[in-house]
Amino acid sequence: MDRGAEITVPQSVATARKHKIRQSISAWTFLIPALMFFVCYQVYPIFRIVWISFTDFEFLSTEPANWIGFGNYIEAYNDPLMWKSMGRAALFTVMFLPGTIIFPLILAILVDRVRHPLLATLYRLILLIPALIPSTLVFVLWKWMYNYQIGPINYMLVEVFNIFTFYNAPQWLGGTNLTLPSIAIMEIWWGLGYHAIFFLAGLASIPREMLEAARLDGANEWHVFWHITLPRLAPIMMILVVLRFGTSMAVIDEYLIFGGFNRGAPTYTWTVYMYDQAFNIGLWRQGFAAAVGMIGAAVMVFFVAGLVYIFRPRG
Amino acid sequence: MLKQDINYEANTPQQTWFAKHRFPIIRHAVINLFMLIILLPLSWVLILSVKSLPDSMRGQFWPRKFDFTHYSYVFENIETLTGNMMNSIVVTGATVLLTTFFAVLAGYALVHLKPWGKTFVFTILLLSLYFPTRVVAIISIYELQDFLGLINVTSGLILPYITLNLAISVLIMRSVFQLVPHEVIESARLDGAGLWGTLWFIGLPLARNGLVVVFIVNFVTAWGEFLLASTLINDQEARTMPVVLAAAQGGMGQWAWPRIAAVYIIVVTPGLIAFTFAQKLFFKGLAEGVVKG
Amino acid sequence: MVERNEIELKLQEANRRQLLQGKIDRREFISRSMVTGLGLAGVGVATKYGVGPAYAAEGRPLTPTFYDWIEGLHPGIPGVNERFPGINYQIAPVQGFGIERFVAESKKSDSTWDVYVGQTPFVEMTSLIEADVIEPWDNYIPADVIDDIIPSIREECSVNGKLYNWPFLLDVVGMGWHSGVTNKAGLVDAAPATWDEFLDGANTIKESGAAPFGATFDAHGWRSVAPLAHSGSSDVYTPEGLFDFTSDAAVEALVLMKKIMQTSNPDILLSGASDGGVNGTPDEVAFSTQRVGYYVKYFNAPLRMAQYWDDPKQLHMGPLPKVSGGEGSTVFWTTGCALFKHGQNKEKAAEYIQSLTYDRQIWKDSIAGTETAHVGQLPPYSSIYKEWGESKPDWMLPFVGLVRGQLDRAKSIDNHLFGLSQFQIGQPFWEAFLKGEESDPRVAMQNVTDAVRAEMNRG
Repeated sequence: MDRGAEITVPQSVATARKHKIRQSISAWTFLIPALMFFVCYQVYPIFRIVWISFTDFEFLSTEPANWIGFGNYIEAYNDPLMWKSMGRAALFTVMFLPGTIIFPLILAILVDRVRHPLLATLYRLILLIPALIPSTLVFVLWKWMYNYQIGPINYMLVEVFNIFTFYNAPQWLGGTNLTLPSIAIMEIWWGLGYHAIFFLAGLASIPREMLEAARLDGANEWHVFWHITLPRLAPIMMILVVLRFGTSMAVIDEYLIFGGFNRGAPTYTWTVYMYDQAFNIGLWRQGFAAAVGMIGAAVMVFFVAGLVYIFRPRG
Repeated sequence: MLKQDINYEANTPQQTWFAKHRFPIIRHAVINLFMLIILLPLSWVLILSVKSLPDSMRGQFWPRKFDFTHYSYVFENIETLTGNMMNSIVVTGATVLLTTFFAVLAGYALVHLKPWGKTFVFTILLLSLYFPTRVVAIISIYELQDFLGLINVTSGLILPYITLNLAISVLIMRSVFQLVPHEVIESARLDGAGLWGTLWFIGLPLARNGLVVVFIVNFVTAWGEFLLASTLINDQEARTMPVVLAAAQGGMGQWAWPRIAAVYIIVVTPGLIAFTFAQKLFFKGLAEGVVKG
Repeated sequence: MVERNEIELKLQEANRRQLLQGKIDRREFISRSMVTGLGLAGVGVATKYGVGPAYAAEGRPLTPTFYDWIEGLHPGIPGVNERFPGINYQIAPVQGFGIERFVAESKKSDSTWDVYVGQTPFVEMTSLIEADVIEPWDNYIPADVIDDIIPSIREECSVNGKLYNWPFLLDVVGMGWHSGVTNKAGLVDAAPATWDEFLDGANTIKESGAAPFGATFDAHGWRSVAPLAHSGSSDVYTPEGLFDFTSDAAVEALVLMKKIMQTSNPDILLSGASDGGVNGTPDEVAFSTQRVGYYVKYFNAPLRMAQYWDDPKQLHMGPLPKVSGGEGSTVFWTTGCALFKHGQNKEKAAEYIQSLTYDRQIWKDSIAGTETAHVGQLPPYSSIYKEWGESKPDWMLPFVGLVRGQLDRAKSIDNHLFGLSQFQIGQPFWEAFLKGEESDPRVAMQNVTDAVRAEMNRG
């Protein structure tokens, strides 16, 4: 028997190594399709932007671009509008992010406990309706809702409840201080359903037996939530936070639609500034715009690293 | 516990049905509050689509006069609407399926096949989420598509669309696969199930919930994407829906609000109906996750 | 000019074929050949003889691209298209579609389209010229047509004496009012002649309770500051072509705006609902809800908004009031057609645009309105106005005659690369005065100029 063991050990090591190599190869085969798209449509454009950011490229100009090193970056760094507009994006993120995590979480926990099959399905159906509406139509809907003269919200406040008059009703959109919170509310509304579905998916992966056992052991609801549910939801929450942080810092469509190119507006964030320089003003200084974009991205990456650290899956 | 205590509990007639069921009632009340928040704006849009023009510019919810002609106005003025919707459906469907497929493969590989360099790939994917590629890179994407001869080709949109959410989809699948114990995969492999077999029969069912999430993320993005679609496609017939819809909202306002509302209803309803039928499959996946998990 | 010769060859080909097919007789053939041989001066004549459909060149059919709203507001356009069988009529989406695509294509010396209908000179024309995307029409537009364009419009559309924009739809800033509201307030049913009368009227409307708001305007600079400045003096441009914000007329315009705001809807400074805040503005909504008396904007706006009234006929329009003792001018701009340098079918494009811009049905629909649209945009040609002056059609509205008079005094905003963006950049600064944050209008305007300069110096 000993001799048999002596023989099989080196053999299994060899097979193990061969297997490891084979596994690596097949792993890379699995990765290749995704990486191919990624390199073409994501990496290549990024390299191009980085390259452009070091030149004085102006899209509308017929002159060739010149290398100017960090010139654009220095200009952007010293530009007060760069930081002001970055601050606006951060402000929006702070308003939006907590709401878009907490409300769907509550909703998901509640809906998850609904036992009646028909109601459960109905609720899930309604939750997903906003996700079926294309983004441009969601914006239109809320532009109507928030309309100063005849939107239902102001209608209720002015003509039904008489809390305000035509002269002092809240101006929800268009550049006032209420604009960012209003857009945040719109985004939260939009994500309410489909973030809840994310959480429902996460909750569904928690084995019921685990929960039952904990309850039988005398743990109360809060205990169960904090020690069992939340840790299991952590990966999904992290994904959501990281994803939404990125998208909310980099919002642009909404701001172009709701605020345009007025630099004094709270919706004029660094992405709008970038777009303004790249496609609107003067000869379209895309070199400079690219530098603005890169600085913005760097700031975001810095914060996201922090978030990933906070939300890393434990245990 | 004293016998007396038990008896006392059992003999309390004051506990009404409401009190006994207070948790479910509160639960349903809160849920329904959220449901209302979701549905009320949409019902406002529904009513708006049948208001006469003067009524659309008054705040009152119920119109004085109904006007059902807005729907026909939509079809007359966007003749290509059904075609555009088909384009959107095709592009979105293909994007969702392909991205999910690639993301599953990549996520699985990163976790269970553990290739050399996986941390590097992970970091790159994560970082890429934060570059505002879509806006400034619009020019380079245009050039790429032009080089491939895909300008004005509807299905050509699928390629950049896949990439829009590829990074996050891979990261989602990776997280979900991380929840699948490695031993399960190993034992399946030792049992002789090949690479694909392991993935299809063992890994995937356990990661089903991640699939749902990836589906939704990709669907929502592809369904509503505007910037790339309007830059890369010029012919009305080849365009997707969001581009055509955007034209309807902008401009000099000949698209009065009730007409846009009619567009709304026309665009959302088929999706809703289709979804009602598909939801059985959809939520079955979630439920089964409970049993298997 | 290789293209031209090719076109001539093709036309000649078409002629010969028609002769051989017996469609025309010898004499016709000879006159047409002469016409073709004369080159493009004869394009107009050739149209009369119906030479060839849109497939003039062997290459692609004539491919114009229109801003979507143009067809929506001018339902006569398909009628024009029918006169050009085979035309590949295309639409560009409005929102978010800038000229990037045009520029990207022209960098590769290519162009998917032949002519672009929807260009506004002070907005994107300079950018298109700088990027070498478009070329002038001078070689293709018939001489009698170019002379028919009203002089101030021709000036707007020209750079260095060359016509880069073939004008089509004319928008003039004037005013409209809700006669129901003004009657209720006891005011005369006519356009106030001076701004003082205008302000009095607005105050009366608000105080009498005839409507919540006395007057409103569109807060974007080129729709408010510029026209109000022009009503005092149109000499408000710097030598390099920028708007002179610190001129007396401009400063007075700002002060006037603040006075008007005392009777206007409170959300007047907010951005609009679409197209980067440029359309769907609060003034439009307020006017359409019948809560405002006077409305200052290009005529297209009150006309469209009146569609929402219970009785749209209550809308009356007139020219912009003048500053007492001032010039009484206003601002106009045209939406016109740009010729792509790397496009094809240029002669055909000229034929098409000529047919389009002279189409009487389009102008009738525009002034009198149709079931679906009432837009109030006017033609750029003096011959058409002369025709209407001589035998006035029964569908003619009074404001057209009044505006025609003002057109001889009206001026467009000077063309400049920063023609539009100077107003965007400056807006927060003059608004500081309007909101009461800055008490001296001159200081506010100086800030505007400084900000615009700063931005210009960057590039």
